[in-house]
Amino acid sequence: MKMPSLSRRQRMLVLCAPFNEQRITDRAMRAAVFRVKKADGFAHQQSFDRAVADLIESTPMPPEVAEWFTKETTVAPPKRTWKTIATNPAIVAIGIAVAVIATVFAFRLMERMSDFPGADTARKLLTTASSARPIMLDPIKTDAGALGDLFFMKHRLNHYDVPPEFADLKTLGCRVFDDEEGHRVAQIWVIEKRLQFFLFPAERNPKSGEVREFSDWRYVEQEGWTGVVKQKNGVCFMAALRGRERELTPYIAKAKP
Amino acid sequence: MTGDALKGQEIFQATMHEAALRAAQGELPKDRLWLFRDARGRCLEASESGIQAEEVEIEEHEIAAWAPQQIGQLEPGQLAIWIAGAPEPQRSALALFYLDHFNHEDLLELIELKPAEFSKYIANGRQEFQSWLNASFPHEPV
Repeated sequence: MKMPSLSRRQRMLVLCAPFNEQRITDRAMRAAVFRVKKADGFAHQQSFDRAVADLIESTPMPPEVAEWFTKETTVAPPKRTWKTIATNPAIVAIGIAVAVIATVFAFRLMERMSDFPGADTARKLLTTASSARPIMLDPIKTDAGALGDLFFMKHRLNHYDVPPEFADLKTLGCRVFDDEEGHRVAQIWVIEKRLQFFLFPAERNPKSGEVREFSDWRYVEQEGWTGVVKQKNGVCFMAALRGRERELTPYIAKAKP
Repeated sequence: MTGDALKGQEIFQATMHEAALRAAQGELPKDRLWLFRDARGRCLEASESGIQAEEVEIEEHEIAAWAPQQIGQLEPGQLAIWIAGAPEPQRSALALFYLDHFNHEDLLELIELKPAEFSKYIANGRQEFQSWLNASFPHEPV
C-alpha cells in the first residue's frame, strides 16, 4: 500500500515513530502512525528499526551492569501535570457536559426566578391556545371589554374582566370551560393577530386561601407561544399569541401614561 | 555512544557511583531523566578525548524491504561503532532511540532537540545506515 498523504507534522512524527507501540504515548504520534500503519514504506521503516533494536538487545552485557540496568528502576514515570489532565479528552468531555448541565440549570433557575404565581396554569393555557380552533368557541362579535358582563351574567364569573389595554379589540367568539383542576376558565378569540385571551382564577395560598398577588404584566412562554399575564381582583387575565414577547409589548405600552 | 565496551562500562560505573553518592547525601535531582543525562554527558566528554570520526558526506538510500536481513549479518559491535561515528547530536538521537527505553517526549527532553530536528536526524541516520548496509552487504535478488 502506498504512503497516504500526510501533513508536514505527521510526516515528521512518522519518521521518528517508536518501533515499539508501548512507547507511543503522544496522541498526535498515535494518530500519525495509525494513518500509515498499512503503508509499505512505514512497514519497511518499522522492520528496519526493530532489526536494529534486536541487534542492540543482543549486545553482550557484563553481569554487574545487567544487574543494575533494569528498565523499571532507571526512569521514573512522568508526573501528571495540570496541563496533561486538562487536555485529556475524557476530562474535556466531562467539562463540556458539566458546562451544558450548568447552563441548562442556570437557565431554568432564571426562568423560575422570573416566574409569578399562576405561571404554571398560564403555560398550560398556552398549550390549550395552540390547539384551539375558532369552531370550538361560541361566535360572538363585540368588543372584548364587553364580555365581562356576559361572563358574570351567564356564568356567574365575577371580575372576569378584560383589562383596558385589550378591551377595544373585536372578538370572534368565546367559551367558558373547566381546566384540569376544575377551575373555571374563560377563553376569548379576537380578530387582531389571532390573539386569544384567557381569564382564570389567580393562584391562592393553600393554607390561608389568600390570593398570591403579583404586580404589573408578566410574560410567559411555551412552545412558540407567548402570553402576557396580569392579576386583578383574584382573577388572572392572559393575552396569548403565537410569536414573541415583542409582538405583545405594544399593547401593554399603549396603556401606560 | 562510545563504540567501546570498556569505555561504556567505565562510564556506567561512574554514573552509578555518582547516583549512589547523591542518594546517600539525599541530593538526588528531581529530574527523572538525570541518570541518562549524566551518562550522556560523560559519553560526550569521553568521546571528545578519543579518536575522532572523520567528517564525510554519506550517501542516503531508501529503506529496503530486505534491510532486516542485512542487519542480521552484523555484529553488535559493528553497529555500535557506526553509531559512535555519527556526529552529535545525531549520535545521541540514534543511540537513545534504538535503546527502546524512552517515549518520544522523553527523547526530545533528554537530547534537547526540537521534534523536527530529532525526526530529521533519525530519518537521515536510517538512510545513511541503509546506504552503508548496501555497500557492505549488497542485496542479491533470489
